[in-house]
Amino acid sequence: MLKVENLTKVYPGGTVALKDLSFEVSDGEFLVIIGLSGSGKSTLLRCINRLIDPTEGKVILDGIDVTASKGAELRHIRRKIGMIFQHFNLVKRSTVLTNVLNGRLGYLNPWTTTLGIFPGEEKKRAMDALKRLGIDDKVDSRADALSGGQQQRVGIARTLMQEPTLILADEPVASLDPVLAHSIMQYLERLNKEDKVTIVCSLHYLDLIQRYATRVIGLKDGIKVFEGLPSEINREKFKEIYGEEAQDVRATALE
Amino acid sequence: MTDKKYFPKTLSILLSIILPGLGQVFQRKYRSGFSFFIAFSTSFAVTLWYGKPVWFIIPVVIWAWNIWDVISLPKGKSLVIPLLLWLIMAYGIGGQVTEFDLKSLITNASRSKDMVAQMFKLDFVQPRAEKMEGYVDIQSPCSDFPPAADNESDGTRVYVVQTCANVGEVITVKGEGFWPNQLTTFYWQNPIGGKGMATEATSDASGNVTLEWKVLSIVHTTAPDPTIPQIHRIKVSQSRPIGGLELSAVGGYIVQGIYETLALAFLSTIIGAIFAIPFGFLAARNLMTANPVSAIIYLLVRSALNIVRSIEALIMAIIFVIIVGLGPFPGMIALTIHTTAALGKLYSEVIEGIDPGPIEAIKATGSNWLQVARYAVIPQIIPAFTALTIYRWDINVRSSTIIGFVGGGGIGFFLWQWIVLQDFRAVGSAFVAIAVVVVILDFFSAKIRERLV
Repeated sequence: MLKVENLTKVYPGGTVALKDLSFEVSDGEFLVIIGLSGSGKSTLLRCINRLIDPTEGKVILDGIDVTASKGAELRHIRRKIGMIFQHFNLVKRSTVLTNVLNGRLGYLNPWTTTLGIFPGEEKKRAMDALKRLGIDDKVDSRADALSGGQQQRVGIARTLMQEPTLILADEPVASLDPVLAHSIMQYLERLNKEDKVTIVCSLHYLDLIQRYATRVIGLKDGIKVFEGLPSEINREKFKEIYGEEAQDVRATALE
Repeated sequence: MTDKKYFPKTLSILLSIILPGLGQVFQRKYRSGFSFFIAFSTSFAVTLWYGKPVWFIIPVVIWAWNIWDVISLPKGKSLVIPLLLWLIMAYGIGGQVTEFDLKSLITNASRSKDMVAQMFKLDFVQPRAEKMEGYVDIQSPCSDFPPAADNESDGTRVYVVQTCANVGEVITVKGEGFWPNQLTTFYWQNPIGGKGMATEATSDASGNVTLEWKVLSIVHTTAPDPTIPQIHRIKVSQSRPIGGLELSAVGGYIVQGIYETLALAFLSTIIGAIFAIPFGFLAARNLMTANPVSAIIYLLVRSALNIVRSIEALIMAIIFVIIVGLGPFPGMIALTIHTTAALGKLYSEVIEGIDPGPIEAIKATGSNWLQVARYAVIPQIIPAFTALTIYRWDINVRSSTIIGFVGGGGIGFFLWQWIVLQDFRAVGSAFVAIAVVVVILDFFSAKIRERLV
């Protein structure tokens, strides 16, 4: 159960990214956040795992106040929250195996891992995660030698290592072509259905929203302008969220 | 076009006579006005400074041209002629000031002929040889009771029949137990180890050698009082080739110098690189500009790096030679400081260029800062750091050669001595050795950097 209460984020310089935002996400949901670039989607996701500190408001995950925690407690919360990025954010020069093992760092001794030592069972866990995503043959490749779709699958495998209860996905398919986008979304859907992982995901494509979301939140200039089922997004709603310019795109996407 | 005529032309002409370009500006010909002003004022200032009256013709012509230009406005005159005049002045005066004399390169070339010819006779190796040596101590000039000049060592005996030597006398030096039928060198060493005389004789079939040697006054040149008897030494030696080659004396010094230079460059690069790492982080804009305190540190460190970097390592070496004395150590300190500043700057640029994405991703897994540094930052910076450090070593090898010139050790120190002693064979050999080492290093450092980046 994730609860966001009156969340506000003002960046130094005065940009208001989020304004008094409140919503709840029940366990097992697949919540999609839509909105223009700059509407605060990325800021919201990063406020949930405190990569960004909110200016005001609270984020409460399973009864623990994330916004009030710090140090080791915050790291323990973070390791249960997986994160997937638009640009994958892999360490390009490291191998796929190292990248996947990186997902486990929050659970392991910082000193031994700093020396590059990972227990054997963790390597096995990493191999299992890679197998599940069908890229175990690339285990020794350098991350930057992989295609975009493969890199995102490594990103998901890294998240799997965290054994997350919640996954934050920041436009996970925005850098991928439509076919790959579906395959990546299906992996997320499987995690959602099979592993009962709650997913909060920002997306742009309407067909993906209709296909995968269980609930949708629309953001505009940091304010929640829509909350409801994907089927409730009609022309007017979409226009409201995305503005006049988006009309044509929306029209073709809806039809 | 028409509104320009609002300004009376005669006024413009008058203005241009007083100050070139002003009339043009009044006619709204800003560009040509500015050009005339700059051309006139710079040429006037330069000729005034140079002080030779003939050159004043140039600002005068530019001034006249400027008046003609303003008269013929709005059409104006071409700026090519004044520009050409200005260039003639710049080249002419510039050439005279720097005593520009291309001719001397050709006419005086013969001066360097002997020197250059010597430089091509490389002196690295010599045929390998074994030696047979003996010596005897002899008194000169003679006292009343001179000690016997007779000495046996290593199977040879050398003695002087007369037991002592006065300048102008002929002494008979005899050697026994040498190789037969072999050219034998006789070498007079004065009491402080300097060379007095040298000559040669050939041994007979039984290995005996005899030399009638006239004692010259040169053997007493270093003596405070040539009338006081002192002990000198006569060295007798034979040398015969045994096949193969060995390093010559110069070759040995070159090897030692190159080795010292490489070690000096290597050590200063490694130490400099280690010092540069913290400075690199402190001078990285993306890490340091988050709060005012760190921003001030950033500015201080960055300016310090820039200032230190701009001081040539050679200058620092001169200062440190004065402080700690001659040898490789002052050169090493100078290079280390310069390397720290240069690498610190380059490292900071690498750090500024890292991708923040992986840092975010590793943080999101619940890692602490140590793990973030180890898995998100270090993999991104290590290859570039290594490449830059190797490149720096390359640079340091070259600069440590020059640093040797001011007493900073290494091959440069030998090279400087050989230049002063006009030993151009050694100079040429050192040049070749340095070039070979630099080319080899260049090649390998380029290869390694290619792999890393």
